[in-house]
Amino acid sequence: MATTRALARLATRRTAVRPAVFTRSFASVDPISKAAEATVPDPARKAIPKSRTSTVKDPEPAKAAKIKTFHIYRWNPDEPTSKPRMQTYTLDLNKTGPMMLDALIRIKNETDPTLTFRRSCREGICGSCAMNIDGVNTLACLCRIPTDTAKESRIYPLPHMFIVKDLVPDMTLFYKQYRSIKPYLQRATPPPDGREYRQSIAERKKLDGLYECILCACCSTSCPSYWWNQEEYLGPAVLLQSYRWIADSRDEKKAERQDALNNSMSVYRCHTILNCSRTCPKGLNPALAIAEIKKSMSFM
Amino acid sequence: MGKLSGLQRAVLSLYRQCIRALRDKPNDTRENFRLFVREEFRKHINVDRKDFSTIEYLLRRGHRQLDIYQDPGIRNILR
Amino acid sequence: MFRTALLRSARQAIRSAPRCQTPIARPVVRSSLFQSKHITPAAYFQAVRCYSAHAGLAKEEVEGRIMDLLKNFDKVTDTSKLNGQSHFHNDLGLDSLDTVEVVMAIEEEFSIEIPDKEADAIHSVKQAVDYILAQPDAH
Repeated sequence: MATTRALARLATRRTAVRPAVFTRSFASVDPISKAAEATVPDPARKAIPKSRTSTVKDPEPAKAAKIKTFHIYRWNPDEPTSKPRMQTYTLDLNKTGPMMLDALIRIKNETDPTLTFRRSCREGICGSCAMNIDGVNTLACLCRIPTDTAKESRIYPLPHMFIVKDLVPDMTLFYKQYRSIKPYLQRATPPPDGREYRQSIAERKKLDGLYECILCACCSTSCPSYWWNQEEYLGPAVLLQSYRWIADSRDEKKAERQDALNNSMSVYRCHTILNCSRTCPKGLNPALAIAEIKKSMSFM
Repeated sequence: MGKLSGLQRAVLSLYRQCIRALRDKPNDTRENFRLFVREEFRKHINVDRKDFSTIEYLLRRGHRQLDIYQDPGIRNILR
Repeated sequence: MFRTALLRSARQAIRSAPRCQTPIARPVVRSSLFQSKHITPAAYFQAVRCYSAHAGLAKEEVEGRIMDLLKNFDKVTDTSKLNGQSHFHNDLGLDSLDTVEVVMAIEEEFSIEIPDKEADAIHSVKQAVDYILAQPDAH
């Protein structure tokens, strides 16, 4: 089933998308300079007038264009007194790659270079492009653009995070919490044969579904408990990582790790809302990991 | 100057931390840092005192900047 | 705990010793800003301190040192209104940020740390002098 779908995708790609790529590479030279002239703010950096929030159109729409509208959250820290606003962009889907990240990159390259977002691997392994797309926290690079052009897409940064600029959230606290669980192997005794720390196949199997987490923070920022208690509650992503080290047969500080979590805030603010498992773009189950932590602590 | 609000006191407290942090900077470049601190605060002197979200944002940014510039490896600052 | 006790007893020992025999070291680290225009003869204050009757600082000395700070503070343009009763804002035209700088300079001058709450309450030369006189650690 999956194979046929992939083949079908390849087939459509060859027919529909390829020529579009060529036209894009030609089209992208001139519009950039034009767009840059139009959108670069004046050197004095005055507040952006209302007129600039109007729709930015696709530079050169083709005849049979599939025009899709995107509403994107904008906020510029260089004008700290200005309020966040939504900016509307339209793109011809025939000339755009299939993923939301392709759309964002195309907007940045061809129409509005001031649009700011994080991206790196464009294949769902770095976790940089986590954002809220059409109401769901996900990775822009793993999220297809809905082909229904009648529906408009809305893109926001991860909810309840402080914003650095546009779609870029401030992850300082998230990383600080990650550091607090000591995400590394803690061990005092050397391996018996002086070589590697070995695991049985069964022991290694326990880490499946845990080690794949890329710390994109989609799950943590979808969790209402985390929204209201960010300072104390660790949140699903960090707890999943915590369980990854508790479950590791090579780690020798299991009791200390559990001790550190044994308070009313760190773990027990999880009320099994399960938004985390529903939203995880990697298909992991942080709620299950939290349940396992709770279980292991109740039989200590 | 009337009684200060909590937010205003938080701003002054950050300014105080910045001025204290100056003492760990080398004697010959301390004035550059002092000018930088002054300028950064005065840049936003006209923000409305009721504009809480802006002030809170600037406070957060200020604390982060202080963290970064406190590093002893940073020995001079030029504009 | 032990360290605090040790420090406290050491401090008491120093205070009980005759003032003139203790090595007199004025804080050398004074902000260069306050030295740029006017250099105060340090020996003058040392002499004053030797003759002061009690272990703490004399009021005149504290006031003099604070006035010197203000005289050399680049934001104070009109020194004619500078006296022992001057209010930082009303008389000297300093705003709240400048006041913070003055209080921090006083902190440095007397080698003490003023907690936020008390620092917020210092708005005039007199308040600063009173605060310093109430601090046993100031020197």
